[in-house]
Amino acid sequence: MISILPTAFIFIAAALMLGLLPKGHIRGVILLITPILAAWQVWNLPVGIYMQVEFVGQTLDMMRVDKLSRIFGLIFCLAAFLGNLYAWHVRDFIQQIAALLYAGAAIGAVFAGDLITLFFYWEGTAIASVFLIWARRTEGSYHTGMRYLIIQITSGVILLAGTALLYRETGSITFERMTLSSLGTWLIFLSFGMKCAFPLLHNWLQDSYPAATITGTVILSAFTTKLAVYALARGFAGTEILIYIGAIMTLFPIFFAEIENDLRRVLAYSLNNQLGFMVVGIGVGTEMAINGTASHAFAHILYKALLFMSVGAVMLRTGTSKASELGGLCRTMPRTAIFCLVGAASISAFPLFSGFVTKSLIMDETANQHYPIIWAILVFASAGVLSHSGIKIPYFTFFGHDSGLRPKEAPIHMQIAMGFTAFLCIFIGIYPDPLYALLPYDVAYKPYTMSHVIGQLQLLCFALLAFVVLMRTGIHPPEIRAVNLDVDWIYRRLIPTLYIIIHAKVVNAFLLFEVVANTLVQVVIKSLYRLHGPETGVSRMRGVGAMVMWVAILLGIALTASYF
Amino acid sequence: MDLNKPNGTDEFSTLGKTLCWFTKTENANKIFLVLAVFCLALFLADFTYHKHGHFHIEEIPGFYGIYGFFMFTALILVAKVLRLLIKRPENYYGSKAIDNEEYPTDQLEQGSK
Repeated sequence: MISILPTAFIFIAAALMLGLLPKGHIRGVILLITPILAAWQVWNLPVGIYMQVEFVGQTLDMMRVDKLSRIFGLIFCLAAFLGNLYAWHVRDFIQQIAALLYAGAAIGAVFAGDLITLFFYWEGTAIASVFLIWARRTEGSYHTGMRYLIIQITSGVILLAGTALLYRETGSITFERMTLSSLGTWLIFLSFGMKCAFPLLHNWLQDSYPAATITGTVILSAFTTKLAVYALARGFAGTEILIYIGAIMTLFPIFFAEIENDLRRVLAYSLNNQLGFMVVGIGVGTEMAINGTASHAFAHILYKALLFMSVGAVMLRTGTSKASELGGLCRTMPRTAIFCLVGAASISAFPLFSGFVTKSLIMDETANQHYPIIWAILVFASAGVLSHSGIKIPYFTFFGHDSGLRPKEAPIHMQIAMGFTAFLCIFIGIYPDPLYALLPYDVAYKPYTMSHVIGQLQLLCFALLAFVVLMRTGIHPPEIRAVNLDVDWIYRRLIPTLYIIIHAKVVNAFLLFEVVANTLVQVVIKSLYRLHGPETGVSRMRGVGAMVMWVAILLGIALTASYF
Repeated sequence: MDLNKPNGTDEFSTLGKTLCWFTKTENANKIFLVLAVFCLALFLADFTYHKHGHFHIEEIPGFYGIYGFFMFTALILVAKVLRLLIKRPENYYGSKAIDNEEYPTDQLEQGSK
């Protein structure tokens, strides 16, 4: 029975069932079992299309399994499991339901074989995920959630518009590789780009993820953006413009991350930068590059979740994720510190950690395909990753100056979740073959060569040396309480301010118009009154006899005239 | 440094004490020295094997190290300038953002060791 149902339905059924169960551990167990069941199904399903449904004259492919969708389906199941394990203590029904439906929608979208099914799940991820932000239940999170929802829903609407145009053009709604040749495909590209946090479209990510609950951010970090990466890899592999978009994505967030105080926002910028590497891989589009993107997405979901988990654990114990308020927590939270360091080493791509064996696929292929400038940007961005995620997150939280805070170690279930994730990060780094076997194409790549290991170690250790030098000379910028402007300033500050100004101007203009119009009307009324009012010439009463006399005179003139 | 704090090092777990070693001011020079020696070793290692990079520039001994060191420094300097331009007070976006509000305490499990 389970084998013919789309995987997403397992999550939806579990979410429906959750309400019938008593609060407490039983619900937590359901949250853990559901992704395991789903992963088991994905693992065992052979490649093919399952569950075709007729819908207003179209055939919807609800479950298309191939090697690309399978690896994303599997990592989404794994991320849902780890996130739910981390959130074991949460008793908030809304967050539990949202976590299940959000993971389900993301997995449904990955297995969607057509654009209409994709659209339904695409919007599903938007609606389910916003509750992880609203569950914080503060005024700030309410407004942030609204901004997030508007952007996510807009992305879906653009996807639907693009699908409609594409259908008119080709008569097909199948979700397959497209070229940027018509308005329809451009709209679909834009829709994917919004969710993938392309430059200038990126700010919903840094705005909303730090506003979610502690556990909500861990879950958010896995799905939406990687779903967009999957959609781009499926629809636009080899589209050259993606190489340049991706390179910019790797570059600009590292500067913002460097001066950001909220560590969860630092991680959101860092997430944006990591997406850039994947987007470059999609743009290059060769088999090895797509392998690189898929494997990097897999490894990235794990280490990014691990980093969000460790900062979240600190937040759970101290109430803050601001670097300026933290420091020296390794004394009382040493295990969390070590898990954080594993995540930091993985994202920085130190040899023996997961980032090393996945990111290098993309970077080597960029070099193989002769993009020297893009390659140089990616190497620079790798040093940038070390700077904010590799050094800043662990150093300013667990080491650095002593904040005097002595919080308890993270709860045991969080330690288990972090420990397991950290284990996976190291396992992939040391023994990448099982991950390589899952990739869409055959892999003939050896990450551990002498020149690769030495080169990468040189890059990272010399950058680390630069950090130490800059810290000792006091040049490194200190962590201070502040917010930094980004593109979201346009719609959070500029447009509202312009609206107020324009609104005031329009009101003033209208008032002026009203005064002028009133004066004009008064003038007209007065002059009419002067002409037609009582006691004026026009309306003076005249006798009937006088009128008859004038008629008679006129008649007389007419008669006289007709004789001549 | 941490001696002024209410809890002495004795109360931390073994792991906590081990990690604590890295935060002590008197050990900073040792860490710096070890790192510098390691970097030097990595630089010298470039002469011991045949490099086969994609670009000629990769064949310069210590290319990655030099590139990493200078680009990292450049990144920090540019970020400092950027901060001058875009830094705003924490309550800049007022009640419509989470920057200036406390995390709800009923969702926390705070506690000191």
